[in-house]
Amino acid sequence: MQTFHSIRRNQVLLAITLLFAAVNLWLIYEVAPVVAKQEMAQKIFYYHVPLAWNAFLGYAIVAITAGLYLVKQDPKWDIWSLAAAEVATAFALLILMTGPIWATPIWGKSWSWEPRLTTTLVLFVIFLGYFMVREFAGPYERSSRYAAVIGILALIDIPLILTAVTWWAPEVQSHPQMEMVNQPYAILRVFFFSLFSFTLILIYMLLYRQYVGALVYRRKIAQGEIDHV
Amino acid sequence: MAFLTILAKDIRLELRTRESLAAMVVFALTVVLLFAFAFDFTPALRGTFTPGLMWLTYFFVAVLGLLRVFGQEKQLEAYDLLLTAPVDRSLIYLGKSAAFLLLLLVAQLLSLPVFVLFLELPLAAAPVYFFLILLVTDLAIAAVGGLVAGLSLRAPAGDTLLPIILFPLLTPILIAATKATSAALAGQPFAEWDFWIMLIITFFALFVLAGIFTFDYIAEQ
Repeated sequence: MQTFHSIRRNQVLLAITLLFAAVNLWLIYEVAPVVAKQEMAQKIFYYHVPLAWNAFLGYAIVAITAGLYLVKQDPKWDIWSLAAAEVATAFALLILMTGPIWATPIWGKSWSWEPRLTTTLVLFVIFLGYFMVREFAGPYERSSRYAAVIGILALIDIPLILTAVTWWAPEVQSHPQMEMVNQPYAILRVFFFSLFSFTLILIYMLLYRQYVGALVYRRKIAQGEIDHV
Repeated sequence: MAFLTILAKDIRLELRTRESLAAMVVFALTVVLLFAFAFDFTPALRGTFTPGLMWLTYFFVAVLGLLRVFGQEKQLEAYDLLLTAPVDRSLIYLGKSAAFLLLLLVAQLLSLPVFVLFLELPLAAAPVYFFLILLVTDLAIAAVGGLVAGLSLRAPAGDTLLPIILFPLLTPILIAATKATSAALAGQPFAEWDFWIMLIITFFALFVLAGIFTFDYIAEQ
């Protein structure tokens, strides 16, 4: 029986992803310099920012594949869209967890209504609604179309939410990423390796989820849950 | 033409029954009453809370209105018949949203005295700006509301899904409307808070375009 991991291409991808993840860990804890004042807390930056990159890349893929699904009516795009939505939301949850972990020792409080964190939270809530539509909005094809529209609306909303929450509370401590360009090379080097390493994880998870999604779709057809093929 | 027909149909329906409007206004009054009991704020704090409470109430009222305006299409499968009309689907979206917009505006105007009277909303400070904010915010709510109601309408759990999808999407609008109302009624010059109005108009323009382009897919038979 063929599984996702019995395909040669996926085995290679998994091996490369694991290798990069291992090297990434070593670089973060052994090679990257310890930042004054923040010490080990700063290490989370190498996770937090790539997680955010993955989540927003994922949400962009959701909107693009949703648009393709609506225009082309090909269920393959819907499967991609669902895969990207689930993976991106998992990463969004991780952003919402790693942010407070870092903020607790540095800002002295777990949650602050910092613009990017707030935007991620709103987006996370929008996608909770997205999954509810997927589950509860009736026949498979209809709920897929509805979910596609919400995926597109969510992407349109991102810049507006970010703008609104930035103006909403200008007194809230600004995000450290503002000074990214001023970071020393020793940190940037490790950071970009981490970014690449996490992008590999995103690609791997997307492909895996898409494979499972396609199986689920075929089962639904076999069981007669989908009317029009 | 189809746009006006749908709009006129909904207005006629509302004028005959008046049930949506009555429900929305009474609901606004009830919520204000609850707010007054839930928050034991001193008169000094009232001014800072009132715009937010007002917009929160109007968001709830908007959901009620959407459930009425779009929900009534469920009866006797009116919606399916509406979709068989040989017109562009985006006109159905615009027509229904415009009907909802009118309903929301009238409901707000009728319940406005409640906020002035009970929560001391300083409406007299800048009435023109206040109604400008009211109008653009309602346009934005109607643009998203019509679309989201259009898609949650035919879902089995549509009534519960509507606010769950609508409210997070409207977050920027709640922030902008509340901030703009506070600033305007505090007597700040327009130039100091006009970016909130621009944000709302941008939101409206983007979502009304999104609605026109995507309603076709939502409204398939």
